[in-house]
Amino acid sequence: MSEVEVRDLTVEYQTSVGWLPAVAGASLDLRAGQITGLVGESGSGKSTLALSLLNAVPAPGRIAGGTIEVAGVGDLTRLGGKQLRKARGGAIGYVFQASQNSLNPLKTIGRQLLDLGRSHEVGDLRALIARAKDLANRMGLDGDRVLDSYQHELSGGMRQRVGIVFALVLNAKVLILDEPTTALDMLSQASVLDIVRKVHDENQLSTLIITHDIGAISEIADRLAVMYGGRIVEDGPLLEVLRRPTHPYTKALIGATARITGDVDGARALPGRPPDLTTVARAGCVFRDRCPFAVEVCAQTEPELHSFDSERRRACHVEPSTVLTGTTGTPAAVGEPA
Amino acid sequence: MAATATLAASVRSRRPALTAFRKAVTRKPGRIIGLAIIVFFILLAICGPWFYGRLAVDPNSLYAAPSAKHWLGTDFAGSDVLQEVVTGGRYVLATAALSALFTSLFGVTIGLVAGYQRGLTDSALMRLTDFVLTIPGLPLLIILSTVWNFGSPWKMGLVLGVTGWGGVARAVRSQALSLRERGFLEAARGLGLSRRHILLKEMLPNVAPYAAMQLMLSMIAFIGAEVGLFFLGLVPFSSTNWGVMLNQAVFSGGAMETPSALIYLLAPLVCILVLTLGIVLFLDAIDELFNPRLRERV
Amino acid sequence: MTAFARRLAGKLAAGLVMVWVVVTFTFFLVHALPGKPGDVQYEQYIQSGMNAEQAAAKVKAIYGYTSHDSMLSQYGGYLGKLLHGDLGQSISYSGVPVSHLIWAALPWTVIPVLSGLLVSFLIGVTAGVVAAVRRSSRWGGLLTVSGSLFAGVPAFVLALLLLVVFHTEWNLLPDAGTSDIQYDPGWNLPYIGSVVQHAVLPVCAYALLSYGGWLLAMKSSVVSVLGDDFILASELRGIAPVTRARYIGRNAILPLFTVLALSFGVMFAGSFFIEDTFDYPGLGDLLLKSIGTRDYPVMAGAFLLITVSIIIANILADLCYTLIDPRVRR
Repeated sequence: MSEVEVRDLTVEYQTSVGWLPAVAGASLDLRAGQITGLVGESGSGKSTLALSLLNAVPAPGRIAGGTIEVAGVGDLTRLGGKQLRKARGGAIGYVFQASQNSLNPLKTIGRQLLDLGRSHEVGDLRALIARAKDLANRMGLDGDRVLDSYQHELSGGMRQRVGIVFALVLNAKVLILDEPTTALDMLSQASVLDIVRKVHDENQLSTLIITHDIGAISEIADRLAVMYGGRIVEDGPLLEVLRRPTHPYTKALIGATARITGDVDGARALPGRPPDLTTVARAGCVFRDRCPFAVEVCAQTEPELHSFDSERRRACHVEPSTVLTGTTGTPAAVGEPA
Repeated sequence: MAATATLAASVRSRRPALTAFRKAVTRKPGRIIGLAIIVFFILLAICGPWFYGRLAVDPNSLYAAPSAKHWLGTDFAGSDVLQEVVTGGRYVLATAALSALFTSLFGVTIGLVAGYQRGLTDSALMRLTDFVLTIPGLPLLIILSTVWNFGSPWKMGLVLGVTGWGGVARAVRSQALSLRERGFLEAARGLGLSRRHILLKEMLPNVAPYAAMQLMLSMIAFIGAEVGLFFLGLVPFSSTNWGVMLNQAVFSGGAMETPSALIYLLAPLVCILVLTLGIVLFLDAIDELFNPRLRERV
Repeated sequence: MTAFARRLAGKLAAGLVMVWVVVTFTFFLVHALPGKPGDVQYEQYIQSGMNAEQAAAKVKAIYGYTSHDSMLSQYGGYLGKLLHGDLGQSISYSGVPVSHLIWAALPWTVIPVLSGLLVSFLIGVTAGVVAAVRRSSRWGGLLTVSGSLFAGVPAFVLALLLLVVFHTEWNLLPDAGTSDIQYDPGWNLPYIGSVVQHAVLPVCAYALLSYGGWLLAMKSSVVSVLGDDFILASELRGIAPVTRARYIGRNAILPLFTVLALSFGVMFAGSFFIEDTFDYPGLGDLLLKSIGTRDYPVMAGAFLLITVSIIIANILADLCYTLIDPRVRR
């Protein structure tokens, strides 16, 4: 059962050369009770995808096609006005990364919670505050103190936990975290991930974690989706994807991460640069320029995201076994089999 | 030397800056109009007086209406108004240019040195800047007008420059500090460049465009102040000047009550208005180059 | 001692130092004026038949010192008189204390300036918000240009244009003075009505003078707040539009306190032109008249008062900022 079903989502940005897709034909399920990790380099379109889940693509952008079905709300792309506003925060909670200032600097946390409650026409504001304090206490914060504080009085890690309180206090069932571990030191990273796992389990959520850090996500996610050049190129259960990557990009990404391979000397940087809106290939596979397995067809036809195991999907013309064993003309720079 | 070149190029290379500038100016018609107005007034100040010899006075036609002979009519003494505006423009613009020169001399030097040296020198220089900024410029000028006679463009420009460099110094210093934050100075010092070289060859070109913007802003204020001092009658009328025209029109020419004198009063007013508009429109382009946040989405 | 009190004390101390510097500066400025004003005065008294002692006492009453004293004791005498609120005596209004002249002129500057400031604040800030929100549209661009233009155009241009349009052309409003002479000054309706009528154009001139500053400051402030993370965050949390507008407004208006202090300087500078044009007996007019008559004590007193007011305005603006922003308050 899926809490959120994204189908064929395309998001475009207006540029000097016309409308260009930042997310192209993406399909993704957020399953109830599971944590999905969405990984990709900066510019891969993962943040745009996350914002479009709230139908909140920033100004020169628009959702050009596809649907986003949220359980109990309907197709978010068709909502507007008050219904959309209520869905944001009410059905889906969004948590900013720790380095961002997601709270009004001039108001205490408690007053902003009341603003949130009034905006969503919550009848019992006392209960809302009580729930917020309870959530805060469960995440290791002093609820009473935090609600009396201003944003500048909290550390980055505390702000992020307060962000989670805001996201969940209205009983949203879907939680989206944007780069939750970026800008935190290793110890705080671990504790934030523990907390996310804990609130996820306690509240029976469907959680999406957006990150560029495949190492961090591998510690708590149930499923993994990999994005490149605005496309989801591979997804599946976390361990299977990590152990048997079937897309060359996923494989290279894992190869570049010492934490997973467990071998610092074996970690290899990915050659080349990730594409942006204007440089991404218009025809064929978007990864082919950096792909050690690229064959002729890759330049002509874009591979479709198709299921190949019961639980997995991939978008690549090359056979999974070929990618896995890496026998075909692998350039030395790209990760050799771990 | 080659290392120097790459360092300079890494922050801002000459050519792309020029292209970006041209792009910013041509992106909106208003900016081209602004530039055109500024160029027009500069040409007027340089070439205008060539067309007129000495001020011709026609005592038989006082406050004459506009005609083929006197395009903007004549004033209370029978002088041609257009001629007065054109010759007066030279003083106004020459003074503005000179005061900008002095302001940039003081402001850029003090700002650069403060931003480069930091520490005690910086705080001492910034105290001084604060003081200059706190002393209200115009009242000071008014009092100084009893001590000095700044009737000539040179003297007026010097006085305006001496009293008005605070803003430019502040701006240049903050710009120099941001260069510092980008590791620019450390890199230059690492290359073993002398302080003189770093200040003049590396930092100056980088703060120059920003300083130019500040200068144009203060030039608007300078034009207001110099014309204003003449308007208030505080500076002896040694030359024809828009401020003198205004003073005569309002306080002795009775232009407020005489409909036929209206053009005499309005001509310098409109000139100041249009010149200000020109600078403002043009500044919009420069502003865009420095405040990417204000830049409109593509 | 709280952080706020510490900050207040620091600001006050810095302000006092600044005032002292300005006082010293004024002292030496008057000293540098041509013909040693005190000596000239002294000679005049001697010529009019006074003995040396009387003349010296008179000069001392006017300036606070005589040039026979050493420089240091002249300076000391000047400072001592200032500390007692004594700005000396006027020369042209013989024997009248400078402070009386300033007190009489003050309301004619302060009230129009404050009214103009209030009007321009309301209009300028509203226009600034519109200019920021609609910054990509033609109207937004025009608003911004109007702001820059009014911020740049000299005060006398504004005052004269107002006069030409509303007095010469349409004859709607009077051109000079504070009231019509046929009314007796006092708390009677016709007089107050006449005062208000005469104040309209000066207040408009002050308002136009500072309108541009408010607009430009508010625009850039709103643009920068709109780009802040917490505004996007509040949208993603489904905060009601009215509440979000309040968030934006309160955060954007904060930096405007620095503009407030700046505006005072602009207004005082403008007061010379506006009071001269409308023949309004305020502080600027007093200073200008004292220049014309070479009334040095009045000149120094008015200059000192204007400068000190600007310093105080700066301190007040900073304190308001501190009171509103919890980040500085702590």
